[in-house]
Amino acid sequence: MRVGFLHSLIRKEEKLLIDAFETINDVELVLLDDRQLVFDLHSRIDVDVVLERCINHSRAVHGLRFLESVGIRCVNNSEVARICGDKLLTAVALKEHGIPQPDVRIAFTEKSALRAIEEIGYPVVLKPAVGSWGRLLSKVNDRDAAESILEHKAILGSYHHSIFFIQKYMEKRGRDIRSFVVGDECIAAIYRTSEHWITNTARGAVASNCPLDTEICELSLGAAQAVGGGVLAVDLLEAEGRLLVNEVNYTMEFRNSIDTTGVNIPQKVADYVAAVASQ
Amino acid sequence: MAECPVCGTEVPLGAGTVRGELIECGDCGSELEVLTTDPMTLGEAPEAEEDWGE
Repeated sequence: MRVGFLHSLIRKEEKLLIDAFETINDVELVLLDDRQLVFDLHSRIDVDVVLERCINHSRAVHGLRFLESVGIRCVNNSEVARICGDKLLTAVALKEHGIPQPDVRIAFTEKSALRAIEEIGYPVVLKPAVGSWGRLLSKVNDRDAAESILEHKAILGSYHHSIFFIQKYMEKRGRDIRSFVVGDECIAAIYRTSEHWITNTARGAVASNCPLDTEICELSLGAAQAVGGGVLAVDLLEAEGRLLVNEVNYTMEFRNSIDTTGVNIPQKVADYVAAVASQ
Repeated sequence: MAECPVCGTEVPLGAGTVRGELIECGDCGSELEVLTTDPMTLGEAPEAEEDWGE
């Protein structure tokens, strides 16, 4: 079978995935660099399935939609990418499936955003609707900070920054949980621990193994299902005596989680993609 | 081997190196991208863009 590998830069994750596909008999990997591709509305690339590993959300979601339109199955599909790449859409999907998450407000002006922040109560977290790696997150502790940050965001020059995604700040005792879902299985999880309130490993948080239990597995699978399923990383917060889903990531990074968990995550992903192609 | 475009050091590249791969120059620490594999050439890796991430 021919597996398309939609990518831009080849990071450590992509290299590990390429190596994993090489261990599967009958798989011919076709590298599709999104910087080289030109899509039209009719041409079909000769592959049985595509694994999406773009670094740009905008390229992923549009590239996938084009590939699907000519009949190519994609992991993850464009709808999953669309939902997970936008925190507003993720919050709605989680709510519609009864998945617990922190209290959220959306507002489109500085004035209404300030009202929403005060409705939730300080501190709150302001997040760009599209963005990753903990970039441009703001923990807002009081009204002075809120007014200042909202004003700065409003003049950043992109309309994206005037879509205000406001989340109740959850005290998470210096760590959160990232779980990994492949198909209908929660395969592993890590704690991400940091003295900083942002616990992304891209921002220096330390990964350690988080033993899977029923609550983590059920909530992770529920969140994955809510956004459409596939290969997903689910960020969980331990707060108020229960787990809440913070975000769902559709082009998951896992370089710090293989040795940590003892689970060969790239091989699980490659096997899943090959199985999808065989269906 | 390929030359680091920042400091000129010869950077060792393995047999499985692929185009687009990110590597770090062991000498100057620059993040580099493999531009071609035959011959091996390196360029500076692009800066992160607003919609980069997971």
